[in-house]
Amino acid sequence: MSLVLQGIVTGILTGGVYALMAAGLTLIFGVMDIINIAQGAFVILGAYLSYWLSVHLHIDLFLGLFITIPVMFVLGVILEWLLIRPLKRDRTQLSILVTYALAIIIEGLLYFFFSADNVKLFAWYTTQSIPVGPFYLPLIYLLAFALSVVLLAALYVLLYRTKFGRSVRATTQNRAAALLIGIDVERVAALTFGVGVALTAAGGMAYGATTPFTPNSHYDLISRLLVIIIFAGMGSLGGALIASVGMLVIENVTSLLWSPVWASTVFYVLLVIILLVRPQGLFGKFATRNQ
Amino acid sequence: MLLELTNVVAGYGGGDVLRGVNLAVEEGTITCIVGPNGAGKSTVFTVISGILKPRTGQILFKGKSLVGLSPQQVLTRGLVQVPQNHSLFPAMTVRENVELGAYMLRDRSLVRKRYDEIQALFPTVRERASEQAGSLSGGQQRLVEFARCLMLDPSLVLLDEPSMGLDPKTLREVFKTITTMKEAGRTILLVEQNARAGLRLADHGVVMESGQVRLDGPSEGVLNNPEISALYLGGSVSKQAAGA
Ligand SMILES: Nc1ncnc2c1ncn2[C@@H]1O[C@H](COP(=O)(O)OP(=O)(O)OP(=O)(O)O)[C@@H](O)[C@H]1O
Ligand SMILES: [Mg+2]
Repeated sequence: MSLVLQGIVTGILTGGVYALMAAGLTLIFGVMDIINIAQGAFVILGAYLSYWLSVHLHIDLFLGLFITIPVMFVLGVILEWLLIRPLKRDRTQLSILVTYALAIIIEGLLYFFFSADNVKLFAWYTTQSIPVGPFYLPLIYLLAFALSVVLLAALYVLLYRTKFGRSVRATTQNRAAALLIGIDVERVAALTFGVGVALTAAGGMAYGATTPFTPNSHYDLISRLLVIIIFAGMGSLGGALIASVGMLVIENVTSLLWSPVWASTVFYVLLVIILLVRPQGLFGKFATRNQ
Repeated sequence: MLLELTNVVAGYGGGDVLRGVNLAVEEGTITCIVGPNGAGKSTVFTVISGILKPRTGQILFKGKSLVGLSPQQVLTRGLVQVPQNHSLFPAMTVRENVELGAYMLRDRSLVRKRYDEIQALFPTVRERASEQAGSLSGGQQRLVEFARCLMLDPSLVLLDEPSMGLDPKTLREVFKTITTMKEAGRTILLVEQNARAGLRLADHGVVMESGQVRLDGPSEGVLNNPEISALYLGGSVSKQAAGA
């Protein structure tokens, strides 16, 4: 029983980090109708940025986010302008190719600068465990979860309490109408892509502090992220949060009770079943979206 | 003339859809464009709104050119459009939708004042303020779209097929609202599939075909032009319009 409980708790904590990464992916899809296959590569890039700052400049992992988040935001805005905006026709399909190419480029650059060695982020808090109820939890899991909660709350405020957020939601729900009431949808798209990528800086740090990674870790990440947002329903933010936590809880419990080998398989099987019953995902917004 | 299009040529990249459109809208009137599907009626609106750039030709609004302006700049000149397709944000409340009509305005107290005026004019907005726009009927959504477009206090309103998909009762309400807009001093340019009803409502009629204006003049004249009524205002249309 306590094993199940531990699986659930760990699942919730790590699920929060996935929620952060998936939120960016689903936000970008909602506004721009593009699937950013490079989201996983951005996460790994963010992890390496944190790694570089901590090893070479001795900047704390969490403090370093004040550098990596803005850097990734600007990178996102530039890449949107350079690679996504020129796609005028069939942008959903083309975006998969373009962002896949981008992922490969990022992976190549990371190999070049950091080699293929396994890397893990270290700080005093990445090796500590603290007692919580009947078991010990790695401190970094708690910190990473807290970071995710703070950033997701900030994202919520941005989307639901600011004028920019209104323009993002309007563009998501009806792009043509947003244009007609004077929203600069291209600007909204660029900034949204920037925000989505900026979230990966934090996601990458949290990921890298809990899991060893290499430049090609993004393949595994992006498949998990895609599963999460398909499970949730493309474009649904709340759904992405629930699906992230759900996926990690199921994985953890399966791995503890049964075998790590079956951990993700169970989730994929569940995904197939759900898509057969509800093709739009659990919280899909396709029905209420126009055009 | 409030709005004047001269020899406007435009397309979406695969050949010209508008092939030299000439059109004038007089201040304080209702002008109705009719014509078969694909004639380019909606495209005229898209070009005026600054969403599609004309290849050649001139568009003058209050004597100044609109060509090359962004959709935002066109809005600030006092020209708004309610498009043919659903244009509400379905997952937002009616109130949020209407307020978004003033997205271009920075002055918050002005937005509040306008909202109060508009909800007084539109019972639907008042009664459904906190409901999701997507849950309203087609006719109610139309009225909310009208309410939203008035938030900028426009001098010219473009309405693309306002009666589309409405039952006769809602249609009468929508048409009454259009008349009220005119009485409030606004100029209206509308496209109507329901040609007879549209022309009866209007002061001026414009008949479009294959990207050009075939005929225009006082709506009476257009309605009674034998050639036109045979072509576009056939018996079935007049039956539909009987209720309006
Ligand atoms: N976004 C677009 N991209 C490419 N072609 C378009 C686009 N919108 C319209 N067209 C084409 O332009 C032509 C004119 O279309 P438009 O919508 O202006 O006609 P309309 O007179 O409004 O017709 P309807 O009565 O059906 O609304 C059509 O051939 C249409 O296929
Ligand atoms: Mg049309």
